[in-house]
Amino acid sequence: MSVQVQALDQELDRLEGLWSDGLSETYRSYLDNVGHFASERQPKLALAAALIEVGLRLQGLGGRAATPTTLLMGDLCLARGSRLLADHAPLAVQVAFARAIESMSSAAASEQPAPATRPLLASSLGAGR
Amino acid sequence: MTVANRLEFASMHPTEFVDITDRIRDEVRGSGLRNGRVHLQSLHTTVGIAVNENEPLLHRDFEILLERLAPTGAGYEHDDFSRRFDIALDEPVNGHAHCRQLLLSAFATLLVEDGGLVLGRWQSVFAVELDGPRHRQLALQLEGEFSKRRSHAPESLVEIELARQLMVDPEAVASPMRRLVEAGGKRLRPKLVQLTAAIGPRNDPLRAAELAAAVELLHNATLIHDDYVDESAYRRGRPTVAAEEGPERAIAVGDFYFAKATRLIAEMGNAGVTSAVAEALEAICASQIDDVALRGAYPGDRESYLRVVRGKTASLFAAACASGALLSEADPKIVDALRRYGELLGIAFQMADDMVDFSPSSGKPVGLDVRQRVLSLPLIYAAEDRVVGPEVRRLLAGSLGDAEVGRVTELVTSCEALPRVRSEAEALVEDAVRELESIELDGLRPTLIGLARSAVDRVA
Repeated sequence: MSVQVQALDQELDRLEGLWSDGLSETYRSYLDNVGHFASERQPKLALAAALIEVGLRLQGLGGRAATPTTLLMGDLCLARGSRLLADHAPLAVQVAFARAIESMSSAAASEQPAPATRPLLASSLGAGR
Repeated sequence: MTVANRLEFASMHPTEFVDITDRIRDEVRGSGLRNGRVHLQSLHTTVGIAVNENEPLLHRDFEILLERLAPTGAGYEHDDFSRRFDIALDEPVNGHAHCRQLLLSAFATLLVEDGGLVLGRWQSVFAVELDGPRHRQLALQLEGEFSKRRSHAPESLVEIELARQLMVDPEAVASPMRRLVEAGGKRLRPKLVQLTAAIGPRNDPLRAAELAAAVELLHNATLIHDDYVDESAYRRGRPTVAAEEGPERAIAVGDFYFAKATRLIAEMGNAGVTSAVAEALEAICASQIDDVALRGAYPGDRESYLRVVRGKTASLFAAACASGALLSEADPKIVDALRRYGELLGIAFQMADDMVDFSPSSGKPVGLDVRQRVLSLPLIYAAEDRVVGPEVRRLLAGSLGDAEVGRVTELVTSCEALPRVRSEAEALVEDAVRELESIELDGLRPTLIGLARSAVDRVA
C-alpha cells in the first residue's frame, strides 16, 4: 500500500489536505475495482475514480452549490481524475466515466434524483471487460 | 427572404456608446446575406441607434451635447410621479433620457454588398444607451439576396457541429449552453484546432470540426463555473448561467459539458489529443485556484500574473494548436512548435484582453476587471508606477464603487501601463511567429501569423 501511495505523491499536489480528509478512504474503496488492470495502473485508476467522486461531492452537484473556492477545488479534482484516466485508462473506461458524469450532472440540472456515485464509477472501471 | 434576430447587450454607464458593428457583421456573415439590407430597431424608449466615428473623445462631446440639450433633472413632467398613473415601483427618473432619445433615431438601415456591410472608413454603428446601466435588446432583420449554397467554410462546420451536439443533449443542460454559444465569442480556440489540423498528412475537416467544437464546449464549460466564482452577472452581453438559473444549475451544466467534451475527444481515439486537452484542463483548474488566492494581494505582481495566465488562458491555446496537429498526424517537431506558438499567443491574447478593459471603444464595459478584482497586467504596472502607483494601490485596497473604478481607470490610462503591456504583448506575438519559422506549414504560415497579430491588434 505504501509503495502505491508513494507512486501517487505527485498526483496529490495541492490536494494533500483532501487526502487526509477522506480521499484516502475513497481511494482504498476503489482498489477493489481495479484488479483487472496492469498492476502499475491500478493505483492511478483507483485515484482517478476517488478524485472524481470527491470532486463531485465538493462541488455540491445535485445538492447545495459549493462556495466558489470549494467549487474550484472540486473542479481540480475532476480535471486531475480525468487526466489520470486519459493517461492510464483504456478508451472504454474513459468514455464510461464521462457518461457517468453526464448522467449525474444532467439529473442534477433537471432536479431529478441522480444515480448513486460510487456504484456508477465502480462499474465504469469495469467498462469494456 | 428575410432573417430576423435579436442583438442583446449590457450597458454599464448611464450614457454609453456601445459599438455593435462587429456583431452586425457576424450576423450578416452567419446568415449568408450577399446583397441587401440590415434593418435595426431599438426595442427601448431610452436607447437610440447612431452611425458615427468610434473615437472616445468624440463620444464625450456627444454626451456633453446631449446633456446640454436635455439636461438631467431639469424638471421633466414625466418625472412628476404624483401626476402619473400605473407607474412601476422601480420607475426610474428618466425624463431626460426619453427626451435625448427623441434627438436620436430608434432605427437604422445598413446596406450590404458582396456579403459585407457598406460603411465608410470612419463609420461604426452604435447602440446609444441613455438610461443605463441595463440589459438591452435590438431587433435586427436582414433582407435581400442570400447565398443559395450554404457556406462550408471551416467556421460554419464548427457551428454546425456545436448545434448538432447541443441538439441531442437534455434541455436542462443544452438550453443554457446554447444561449452561451449563440451569444458569440471569438471562437479562437476552435479556429486554432482547425488550422493546425490542416497541417499533417491526415487532414480531415470533419474530424477537425468535431475536435474544434469539443474544445469550444470545454472552454464554455470552464466559463460557466468561472462566472459563478467571479459573481459575474453578464457574459457576451447576456446574463450568465449562474445569474440567470442559479449556481446549482451552473455547476451541473459546467460538469455536463466538461464530461461530454472529454468524451467526444476520447472517442476520436487519438491518445495524444486526449492527453493534450486533459493536461490543459488540469492547468486551467489549478491556475483558477491561484487566481482567486492572488486576489488577497490584489493586484499582485508580473510573475504571479504570468503563472496564472499560462494555466488559465495559454494552456488551452497551446492544447488547441497541439491537438489539431496531433489529429492530423503532423511531425512531432511541428506539434511542439505549434504548442509553443499557442502558448505565447495565449499569453499575448490575455494581455490584449486586459487592455480592452480600459478601452472605451471596445464595446465592453470599461473597468469590469477592476470592479471584479480580476488579475490584470495594466493594473499591476499602474500600481508599480512611481507617480500614480500610490493612489492606485490605495484605491484598490478599499471598496470599489463606480467612482473608485472610474478613478482607477483614469490613472491606468494616464500612465505608461497600457503602452508597456501592448509592447510586451506585441513582443510575445513576434516570439510566437518565430516559432513558425523553422517548420513546414503547407501554406498556413500567413494565416497563423495574421491570427496571432490580430489577437493584439483588436485594441489598437
